[in-house]
Amino acid sequence: MAKQEIKLTVNGKIYHLEVAPNEILLNILRDKLFLTGSKYGCGIGECGACTILAGGRSYLSCLIPAVAADGWEITTIEGLAKGEELTPLQQAFIDEGAIQCGFCTPGMVMTATALLNENPDPDEEYIKDYLRGNHCRCTGYIAIVKAVQAAAEKQRQG
Amino acid sequence: MKNFNYINAPDLPSALEALAKPDAYLVAGGTNALVDIRAGKINDRTLVNIQGLTEFDRITLQENGRIQIGALTAISKLAASDLLAEKAPALYQAACNFADPLTRNSATIGGNLANASPAADTAPPLLALDAELLLASRFGERRLPLQEFFLGVGKTALVPGEMVLAVEFMPNSFSSFLKLGLRQAMAISIVTAAAALSLDKEGIVREFHLAFGSVGPTPLRAYNGEKAVTGTEFADPEVIKQLQEAVQLDINPIDDLRAGAGYRREMAGVLAKRAILSAGREVGQ
Ligand SMILES: Cc1cc2nc3c(=O)[nH]c(=O)nc-3n(C[C@H](O)[C@H](O)[C@H](O)COP(=O)(O)OP(=O)(O)OC[C@H]3O[C@@H](n4cnc5c(N)ncnc54)[C@H](O)[C@@H]3O)c2cc1C
Ligand code: FES
Ligand code: FES
Repeated sequence: MAKQEIKLTVNGKIYHLEVAPNEILLNILRDKLFLTGSKYGCGIGECGACTILAGGRSYLSCLIPAVAADGWEITTIEGLAKGEELTPLQQAFIDEGAIQCGFCTPGMVMTATALLNENPDPDEEYIKDYLRGNHCRCTGYIAIVKAVQAAAEKQRQG
Repeated sequence: MKNFNYINAPDLPSALEALAKPDAYLVAGGTNALVDIRAGKINDRTLVNIQGLTEFDRITLQENGRIQIGALTAISKLAASDLLAEKAPALYQAACNFADPLTRNSATIGGNLANASPAADTAPPLLALDAELLLASRFGERRLPLQEFFLGVGKTALVPGEMVLAVEFMPNSFSSFLKLGLRQAMAISIVTAAAALSLDKEGIVREFHLAFGSVGPTPLRAYNGEKAVTGTEFADPEVIKQLQEAVQLDINPIDDLRAGAGYRREMAGVLAKRAILSAGREVGQ
């Protein structure tokens, strides 16, 4: 099982890595780059805790072999804030109390970021539908939907 | 994951060459493949990633009037296509109901068909649209009607070393898709149905195609149901009743943890009715 060299750009930083064909992108991010914000929930595409962005779109990093991500430009939850300055969406999660244990939060925020890129003015149904692949065992989702709505409003006001 | 080799195929010739090796295993979006690898169902293989074949990641309206969709086209692209929304609403609706937006960004139409699940959501619409597959191996290309492609659960007519390049069909605006699952989101279907219809000026059904998912070992065309309707007046309640009886001959559902066979039979009748009415809704009734 020969290792292969891949190039990843993660949160603006370029990495050259040797990876085995059987390593998934999520584990490379967590174990090699120590970006442990992306979570390993189920490993089979069901929970959304491992969500990352590439090319503005959201992907489940547990279903992507690291070798298949060669050349990708990736944003993880660690790459959203500029220093101490959170994105409006991150701030809204705090303000609305949309975080309890926090395990789902990185994935939830990444998917919601993709949502707001696609549709700056989403209604409640749209948000619920868009987030249906991200599972939360704590909050009951209501505060999460409110946070996305609040962030959308803030973004529209500029 | 145990023991794997891996090849990123940059173009079609190198993909076909890599697939010709006996241990080759094709990976597209990976949403079925990675789950199967994790479960240990696939091992000791050379994974051949075909995502570099970007010429098969597109939806085109061809000069001959047919729509061609490359095998690597993601479900999210189908769900965002105005062309499909207008000219193939059955497939468009299936894409909009597929999994969740995350999975849709990775899942491809070729992988959905080649995985050959009885519950593959793009299969019934494409069967109802009488789609044809474009297949390729190192020895050349061939075309195959989709209804000859599915041979059993996870079994297809692909020969070793062969892959799906694209799927093609004539547009039909009078087509529809319905999915019944245990809940709205993220649920494997209990029954799905797709219908495609053509009516003449008098409102007589000239052609009618009906297909089901999750009511047999493969997605299937309901030929008895189609016969019961062809040549009759659209939306005649008597004919709809005959349609619901006729489809019982076409399907062969099982009991599983999601639903009983009897319930599936009942629901196949209900969905057949809704699918034909919804396909013809826009035609003056
Ligand atoms: C959370 C989750 C939810 C899901 N929900 C749904 C759903 O609602 N409806 C549904 O239908 N499916 C669903 N699926 C299943 C899966 O996402 C789809 O079947 C998807 O379309 C598979 O495409 P892929 O590109 O990921 O295939 P891969 O996993 O890459 O491949 C699947 C199989 O097809 C073969 N293959 C792929 N492409 C080709 C090709 N071009 N030629 C020949 N063989 C090929 C591979 O060798 C493999 O055997 C879900 C999966 C997950 C993880
Ligand atoms: S860890 Fe990727 S979806 Fe659950
Ligand atoms: S906050 Fe605990 S899973 Fe969502």
